[in-house]
Amino acid sequence: MVNRYTLIALLAALLPPAVRSAPVDEPLYVWTRSSKDGRKTYDAIAAAFTKKVGIKVEYFNALNDFEQRLARAAVGGRMPDVVVNELGTAGQLVNMGVAAEIDRKRIAGADDLLDSAWRAATLPDGRIYGVPVSVQAHVLFIRRDWREKLGLPVPRTWEELAQLSRAFAEKDPDGNGRRDTYGLAFPGGTARGYAAWYLSSFLFQAGGEFLRRGADGKVHAAVDEPPAIATLEFFRRLVCDDRSVQPNAINAATQETNKSFSSGQAGIYVSGPYHIALFDQEPGKDRYEVVPLPAGPSGQRAALAGGELAFIARNSKQPERARQFIEFLISPEGQSLGAQPPRGGLPVVRLPVNKQVDAATVHGDARWAMVAQEYREHGHPLPLARNWSRLQQMAADGFNAALAHCSKDIPADLRALNGRLNAELARQEAQ
Amino acid sequence: MTSRRPFAQLMTRLTPWFFLAPALLAFTWFKFIPMAKGLVMSFHKVGFGGSDTFVGWHNFERALTDAALRDAAGRTLLYVFFTVLLSASIALLLAQALQGTARHMRFIRTAMFLPAVTSAAVAAEIWRILYAPTPDGVVNSLLGLLGMGPQGFWADPSQALAALVGMHVWKHVPYDTVIFVAGLAGINSELYDAAAVDGANAWQRFTAVTLPGLAPAITVICTLGFIRGFRVFTEVYATTGGGPAGSTEVVMTQIYKQGFQELDYGFAAAASTLLFLFTAALTAVYLAWRRKR
Repeated sequence: MVNRYTLIALLAALLPPAVRSAPVDEPLYVWTRSSKDGRKTYDAIAAAFTKKVGIKVEYFNALNDFEQRLARAAVGGRMPDVVVNELGTAGQLVNMGVAAEIDRKRIAGADDLLDSAWRAATLPDGRIYGVPVSVQAHVLFIRRDWREKLGLPVPRTWEELAQLSRAFAEKDPDGNGRRDTYGLAFPGGTARGYAAWYLSSFLFQAGGEFLRRGADGKVHAAVDEPPAIATLEFFRRLVCDDRSVQPNAINAATQETNKSFSSGQAGIYVSGPYHIALFDQEPGKDRYEVVPLPAGPSGQRAALAGGELAFIARNSKQPERARQFIEFLISPEGQSLGAQPPRGGLPVVRLPVNKQVDAATVHGDARWAMVAQEYREHGHPLPLARNWSRLQQMAADGFNAALAHCSKDIPADLRALNGRLNAELARQEAQ
Repeated sequence: MTSRRPFAQLMTRLTPWFFLAPALLAFTWFKFIPMAKGLVMSFHKVGFGGSDTFVGWHNFERALTDAALRDAAGRTLLYVFFTVLLSASIALLLAQALQGTARHMRFIRTAMFLPAVTSAAVAAEIWRILYAPTPDGVVNSLLGLLGMGPQGFWADPSQALAALVGMHVWKHVPYDTVIFVAGLAGINSELYDAAAVDGANAWQRFTAVTLPGLAPAITVICTLGFIRGFRVFTEVYATTGGGPAGSTEVVMTQIYKQGFQELDYGFAAAASTLLFLFTAALTAVYLAWRRKR
């Protein structure tokens, strides 16, 4: 039988350890929404920053459920000092009480940043909570080998895009004798409001908007307008009539849609330029091409312009050091480091926000010059409502439902969605 | 020696608790405290930067009147009804076939238990392949042999929930079968002999001897099925995420969305509390009803 003193000692060992003493030199805690490959690049930035300023940086990175983890950290009282996250989440981070307002004049190097990036970072009330650290515009990825085999042109219009998509689905471009290829890789699922985020480039090309400021100065939903109807009807054709999108597109989110393109199931993908590094590995640099998005029905060009913002946490105990880190991130040195990943890393600065840094030079890749030009000339950001994440989720649910049901009456569906969005806008206004 | 006796008695009484202590400590830390915190949260509007605001029953009122949650609850009821009914029926048939102590039976029982120990995420991936909505998808190929056209399964809003039920049944039939096999082994074989002597046919033996003998097993299977079904989450989240068009949105995915996407912790906590109370009440009523019979 076990000696009872042994037993008691065993139990004592199981009790939670005593509170550890706080470290003398507190590092700067930085959370980034990035993959482990992106993290490698952030590590390089931190190393340079520590060497220069003497402040240690401790990272946490996650790609999935980033805001959820942040919320859990906040509830647990362990907030980071700096958060780097997607532009569209600004309103949500402010509502959560995570982000502190930023005085642009107090940020060294603020005037070197693109005006468009600052504009996109400004909330409807004119306040700024995040410093832009990277921008991007959506581009079109096409399997060049498939396209050339079928002798089709690079699509410049929606019609040509639909034809190419259909040809990829029907004419066996990989030549394996089986009908197992598809045209457009379409992430039509609703996680994180994906369907709405993805379709926004097309909505803008058709001349549409999610929200518009009316004559009364108030913001209204605009997804019942003809451009939105045209966008959804175009995708209904791809999904329901031509069936040229990948199988199960209606439930698909980022990862599986990436896989669909990289594995050679689908041959066309609309996405951010951050996928260039990924697709260079698979399907392979010589097999695909990166081109501008096609023009809408009336010839309008547009590409969803996104980016990343760096926020200083409202209850950070070291806001000055947090500011220093962000200033380094937007400096020419930080921007170059972010765009030039170490071995095995992915760039975390897509298009530099700093005007002194040239995209094509810093990436050492001429394809980035095209992306920079698209951003400059046709970049179209998402609206920053007080809680855009929520509105985007509702729009995605609505778009997804119309396409999943192959709706016969898209105008009616969109009218209903518009009503729901307006009700939510009113609710956010009243808060 | 006599002076030691009270201490020895005390130790005898405490020893089981010492052995339970590690588990209890872990449960307190990882289950009881979070549950209590969740209950407290359901009465608050949870603010992340600073303090929570007490809102009384407001979150519960919202949860009870929320249309999306109500729809999800209806879908969950359907899901529970069909998964429990189908799993139990199929398991009962299989158990009849698999009872006995022959060595090959043991092998077959072990082999068919595999789905039950497969993680939900892996099962989801397997079924994503089986349910591929293309003509050359696995299930679609089989349907093709029967002369049916390719189905959409998870890509079709009118089939997605049924397709999910199919995966759930596949995963839980083995579990139920094992319980039934154990139940069948516990039935006194003399009862069958007596029934045979009385001239009962196979069906009469089944309804008069087997089913009543299996009553405890049925109770266990239904109770577990209710609890499992009402809190189904991973199977849905890893496959359809509640889509397409919200057709597989169940109570837990709805709670997850409200809690972790909208970051409305108070509402999600209130809805979770209601789900817990509902499941507990339903199980209690069911057990009371079984006991009465």
